[in-house]
Amino acid sequence: MLGGAKSVLYRRAVVVCVSLIACLTAAALAGTSFPATRWFEDITKAARINSKHTNREFKNPYAHIMAGYTALGASVVVADYDGDGFEDAFVTDSSAHGKNHLYHNNGNLTFTDVAERAGVADGNDEENASSAALWFDYNNDGRPDLLVVRFGHNQLFQNLGNGRFKEVTRGAGLYRYLNAIAAIAFDYDRDGYVDLFVACYFQPVNVFHPDTPRFFPENMETANNGGGVQVFHNNGNGTFTDVTDKVGLRQSGWALDMGHGDANNDGFDDLYVANDFGTDRFFVNNGNGTFSDITKTAIGFDTKKGMNAEWGDFDNDGLLDIFVTNVTDDYMREGNFLWHNNGNLTFSDVSRETGTYESGWGWGAKFFDYDNDGWLDLYVMNGWVSAGSESYVPDIFAMLVKPGIDLTDARSWPPMGKKSLSGYEKKRLYHNEHGQVFTEQSARHGLDSIRDGRGVAIADFDSDGRLDVFVANANAEPYLYRNTLPTGAHWVSFLLEGRRSNRAAVGAQVRLTAAGQTWLRYVSGGNSFAGQSSNRVHFGLGEVAGIDRVEVRWPTGEKEVFTGMAADRLHKIVEGSSKNKN
Amino acid sequence: MRAIQFGHAAAALIVGLAAYGAPASPEASFQAAQKARATGDLTAALAGFETALALDPDNIRYGSEYRQAAIQAKEYERSLKFFEKLVADHPNSAKAHLNYGFAYVDKIQAAGSITQVILANTALTEVTRSIDISPTWIAYYTRGNSYLFWPKVFLRAPLGVADLEKAYGMQKAGPKRTYHVRVYISLGDGYWKTDNMDKARAIWTEGLREFPDNAQLKARLARNGDDLKTYIDNELDPNKRVDTNLQELWASE
Repeated sequence: MLGGAKSVLYRRAVVVCVSLIACLTAAALAGTSFPATRWFEDITKAARINSKHTNREFKNPYAHIMAGYTALGASVVVADYDGDGFEDAFVTDSSAHGKNHLYHNNGNLTFTDVAERAGVADGNDEENASSAALWFDYNNDGRPDLLVVRFGHNQLFQNLGNGRFKEVTRGAGLYRYLNAIAAIAFDYDRDGYVDLFVACYFQPVNVFHPDTPRFFPENMETANNGGGVQVFHNNGNGTFTDVTDKVGLRQSGWALDMGHGDANNDGFDDLYVANDFGTDRFFVNNGNGTFSDITKTAIGFDTKKGMNAEWGDFDNDGLLDIFVTNVTDDYMREGNFLWHNNGNLTFSDVSRETGTYESGWGWGAKFFDYDNDGWLDLYVMNGWVSAGSESYVPDIFAMLVKPGIDLTDARSWPPMGKKSLSGYEKKRLYHNEHGQVFTEQSARHGLDSIRDGRGVAIADFDSDGRLDVFVANANAEPYLYRNTLPTGAHWVSFLLEGRRSNRAAVGAQVRLTAAGQTWLRYVSGGNSFAGQSSNRVHFGLGEVAGIDRVEVRWPTGEKEVFTGMAADRLHKIVEGSSKNKN
Repeated sequence: MRAIQFGHAAAALIVGLAAYGAPASPEASFQAAQKARATGDLTAALAGFETALALDPDNIRYGSEYRQAAIQAKEYERSLKFFEKLVADHPNSAKAHLNYGFAYVDKIQAAGSITQVILANTALTEVTRSIDISPTWIAYYTRGNSYLFWPKVFLRAPLGVADLEKAYGMQKAGPKRTYHVRVYISLGDGYWKTDNMDKARAIWTEGLREFPDNAQLKARLARNGDDLKTYIDNELDPNKRVDTNLQELWASE
């Protein structure tokens, strides 16, 4: 796969040089104040989305210990909730009295926080802490509904369509204590409704008032006393049923994230579960409403700290690959996984070969084509706790080497206090060099913040065909970076609407053919830790201005082909509207 | 084929004798185990080495070859359990403790990153016991070199330098051995890791005078700055298997 890297890099270098000249010229003409080669502009304050996230402070006997391990909850999820054509963002806070934010996109790169008015602001109290969120149209009415993922009880808000939301958690059958940390939704059984998958970090011990101190991970590499995954089948009538056992996904890892995608192109989406403190799991969808754990053959058993599961076809070979962040620092050199899909339900880790191995203490990461050159780039969040100059590392290892230490007991763990652990890490923006290697470009584009990043969401907030970036940071303000790419590279986006399939077309695969090439992109149901990107399917086309054909494989499995579609615009495609069906 | 059968049979016989309390010769057990290992019969080899070590626990060569066979068979736990019992039975056997420490190091590459630290720390404990019993060149070199693998945050590099300086003093006081080049390399790495670049270059240069063909010393002296950092970081990467084969010790004597 990497055989042609040298010549590819040479060609790429020529392209970069030409682009650089173009950039310098464009910037000189425009009189921009930021470096000409910088393609992202920090517009956080101007956009008025700069409310600070605050970590939860617990009030229990283990609070001083938990503080170090629950610096979580900063997340951002994107959807056009009001159907006005502009992507909006929901951002979580985690402090006991912190309000969540629904940032309505005013259409001019400014936002208005309408969470209170919409009825979705109150996601935190003494018994619940927001940890993430998910937009998903559970009732197929065409309006994205909102799940607020919490340590405590999740909240499901039905989008009423008038700018307001109604909490329907209990009626939907989702009122249950879970220490939930991530959620995705996809239609695993192809019945036309998206189902809900919830990753749970701690077991369902009430972490606000624990009745035992023994709720921490039993070990650091193969822990099996976590919360696992809960699966809720969508009954199609506004209610859900817990089918975790029935579908074969009962497990007890410290699930931090999940990602779905069709690994073997059989029309049924498979599932990757990233587990902290132990082995990630890969489940193949059997196509009969159940999954099988094929971890051993698919990826093998790792002992790392899985933090993120993002799917995308980084090498444009027509198969979805998976990027997983782990923890990498001087004291713990785990390295990330870039799982190259071999096409036979096995994956090979190519993170070292591609230059994506080391990105610090990893969190959310997203594939997206920021320069519209037709190759998926990668933006990676990192950093655990950035505090004082003293390191927490010796403390944690002093604990680990104590004979007979009981790691499940929170009291065994040293308080972090004001110390730092893998703090002040620079975020990584990896540019994809034709599917061969990735080069680090974060400093060049001003995306190398040292805040403790958690989630990232990608969307074209100003509808200009260039993908913008929203970053959620723990205990800090978020970032909104506007993409100012000056190259004029072509692009096209698709908003899919299912009819027989689930309305949001989650899981739909789009294969676009132009100039003799075919690209695969798909509709994700919220993959990646603490961040959900737009559900629009975006293709960078580079110099290609004409599209030959667009094939949509809907979640039902049915395929449709569309022709005569123009580049450089957003198209809405409704299932069943093509004259060309396979 | 006949040789293979003989090696297997001999190892089995010696193991059998030991099991029934007949006092086998440790060297005979060792040689039979070597033969079994050479033929790929690792089960017989491990048993033979264990017999030899049980009879001569302070034999550094037996322990080293046993561990190499254990690595080959991926029998890390068996090796650790064996040495645990061996040092319990022979608490004053310095070289048994040393090999026990190496047995932990042998497992590091096969472990997760957290377990690596725990194994490395336990290895240091055993090597320190060995030093307490008998402060030898190999024990000081081993412990000093091990400290260099620890990330800076643990502040162990100065301890490594102290041990390696002791080993350096020992080797200067005796006849020159080919393996002494290791101290020149590691002590320089220790100085580099403690930000004493002048001393690092000086000891590498002295080493190269003593061992003019050594490629590792040449590589270090040819590099500077980030290039040197990358090189040494790569050399001290705990995810790579550390060569704990001690055959150089007796090969050069």
